[in-house]
Amino acid sequence: MFEVNEKEPVIEMEKVCIRYGQGPEILTNIDLTLERGSFHFLTGKSGAGKTSLLSMMYLAQKPSRGRVSVFGNNVNFTNRNALSMFRRRIGVVFQDFRLLEHVSAFDNVALPLRVCGMGEKEIRKRVTELLKWVEIDRSTSAITSTLSGGEKQRVAIARAVINRPDVLLADEPTGNVDNDIAPKLMKLFIELNKLGTTVVIATHNENLIRDFKYPCIHLKNHGLRIIKAGERGSDVEI
Amino acid sequence: MWKYDNLKHRELPLSKDSSNLFLKIMISISVFLFAVTLAGVLAINSMLINWNSSILGSLTVQIIPVNSSDRQKARDETIVQEQRAVAMLEAMPETIKVTPLNEDQLQHLLRPWLGDDVNIDDLPTPRLIDVKIKPRAEINFKVLAEKLASVAPQASLDNHKLWLNKLINFAAGIKMLALAVLLLVICVTSGAIFYTTQTSLGLHRDVIEILHLMGAKDTYIAQQYAGRTAILGFIGGIIGVALAVPVIFLIAHMAGQIEGGIINEAHLSRGAWTAITSLPIFSALIAMQTAYYTVKKTLERMM
Repeated sequence: MFEVNEKEPVIEMEKVCIRYGQGPEILTNIDLTLERGSFHFLTGKSGAGKTSLLSMMYLAQKPSRGRVSVFGNNVNFTNRNALSMFRRRIGVVFQDFRLLEHVSAFDNVALPLRVCGMGEKEIRKRVTELLKWVEIDRSTSAITSTLSGGEKQRVAIARAVINRPDVLLADEPTGNVDNDIAPKLMKLFIELNKLGTTVVIATHNENLIRDFKYPCIHLKNHGLRIIKAGERGSDVEI
Repeated sequence: MWKYDNLKHRELPLSKDSSNLFLKIMISISVFLFAVTLAGVLAINSMLINWNSSILGSLTVQIIPVNSSDRQKARDETIVQEQRAVAMLEAMPETIKVTPLNEDQLQHLLRPWLGDDVNIDDLPTPRLIDVKIKPRAEINFKVLAEKLASVAPQASLDNHKLWLNKLINFAAGIKMLALAVLLLVICVTSGAIFYTTQTSLGLHRDVIEILHLMGAKDTYIAQQYAGRTAILGFIGGIIGVALAVPVIFLIAHMAGQIEGGIINEAHLSRGAWTAITSLPIFSALIAMQTAYYTVKKTLERMM
C-alpha cells in the first residue's frame, strides 16, 4: 500500500544518476532533500540538467541509478496507480507549456480536477475564478492553439496550481509573460508556499533570484550544490 | 472502474483519427458476415431440432402395391392391407395418431417427380401411413415390423433413422463450420481494433503523456478509447445488419423454392431475429472491450 507520508521529505534523492540511452550521464550522484514547505530556485547553464532533474521530481522518468523517493515512497517500487495519485499532488509548469492545443483554456485548466473525478459544478467555479485571476477570463473558451505565448504560459500556471498541489515545479514560469505580470505570478507561488506547498522554480532570470531571497539548487559539472540566499559566489553562472 | 463522467471527457482527439473510417467499414463487413452466418447457424439449428423430433416422434408405414394382373383387385387388396395396418397401429398404446395419406396427399408428394398431368390412379403407387408416436415411447421396431407383416404382408416399416441420421450429421458438421467462421470473424475484428488502437496510441502519445503527468490513471485514458470505439462498433454494426437482413431474406426465399420439405424446415424464429438485430450492441461491446484492454496493456509499458 502506497501512502503519502506527511513526516517524510516530499522529495528525496540519493546517489541519483540520469542518462539517456547509451549517452553520458547528465547528472551524477545527486543527493537532494526537499522538505515540506521549502522554496528553491533551480539554476544552471543550459544543458546542465535542470529539466532532467525536474522530470524525475514530477515522475516523468526514473533514475538510471540511485533512489528517488516522493512523499516517502521509493518510485522504483511504486505501482502505476500510486504514481498517478502522487502526480495529482504535484503541479508542473513546463517550459514548453505542454497544453492540450485542441481544447479550450478552460478545459486545460480543468484537466487536473477532472482526472481526480471532481464534479463539473465545482470545477466550473474554481477554474473560472483562477482564470480570472491570471487574466485569461475573456478567452476561456478559445482553443488553446489560438492563444499568445504569454496567455499560454498563464494557462499552464493556472493548470499547475488549480489542484492546490503539495509540490509546485516550474520550469521558466516567467519566461514568456509581461514584466507587470511576472511579479504577480511570483506572488502566487509565494502565497502557495506559505500555505505549505513545496516550490521549485527553474530559472535564468537574475532579477527574480536577486529580488526573492530563496536558496538555489545549482547544477554544474553533472553535480549539484545548494547555495543559500545571498551567498552566491562569482563561480555561479545561471 | 467505469465512470460515466470519464466517457464524456474528450481530451484525446479520437474523433479525428483517420483510422475511424477504416474501422467502421471493417466492423460493417464483419457484422454483415457474422449476421448471415449466424442466420445460417440458427436456421440449421431449427432444422436439426425438427429432424430430431421427426426421428423420435414419427414413423412411416408403406404398403407396397399388391402385384396382380387384375389392377382393380390388386388395388382393393392393397387398401385392405392398409386398413388392417391402420387398425393394428391404432390399437398400440405407444401411438398418438395414425393417419393414412389420401389420394390428394399422395399426389402432392409425387408431383415434384411426376408433374401435374399424371393421374396416379393409373400407377401402382404405394399407400403411406403416417404414425405419430408418444414422446419417450420405446418401440421395438423389429417386433413391430413382424406384427405388421402378419396383418399386412406388403407393409414395410420406415423409422427415418437411417437416412435422417446422415442428414443430421451433415447438418451438424455445417453448423460447426459456421460457428468456426463466426469465431474467426470475431478474432479478425478484434485484431483490427487492436492494431488501429495501438496506432492511435502512438499518434496521441503527446496528449497521453500530458494526461499521465496530470495524474490520469490508465483507466481514464482507456475509457475514452473504449467510448469512442464502442460508438464506431455500434454504427458499423447497424450498417452490417442493415446490409445483411435483405440478403438473409433473399437466401430464405431461394431456399423456400426448393421443394421436398427438407430445406423448408429451416426457418428463423423470433428469437433468432432478435439475436441478429441485436448484433450492433454485441459489436459495440466487443469493440469497447478490445479497445479498453489494448490501451491498458499498451500503457502499462509506459512510466
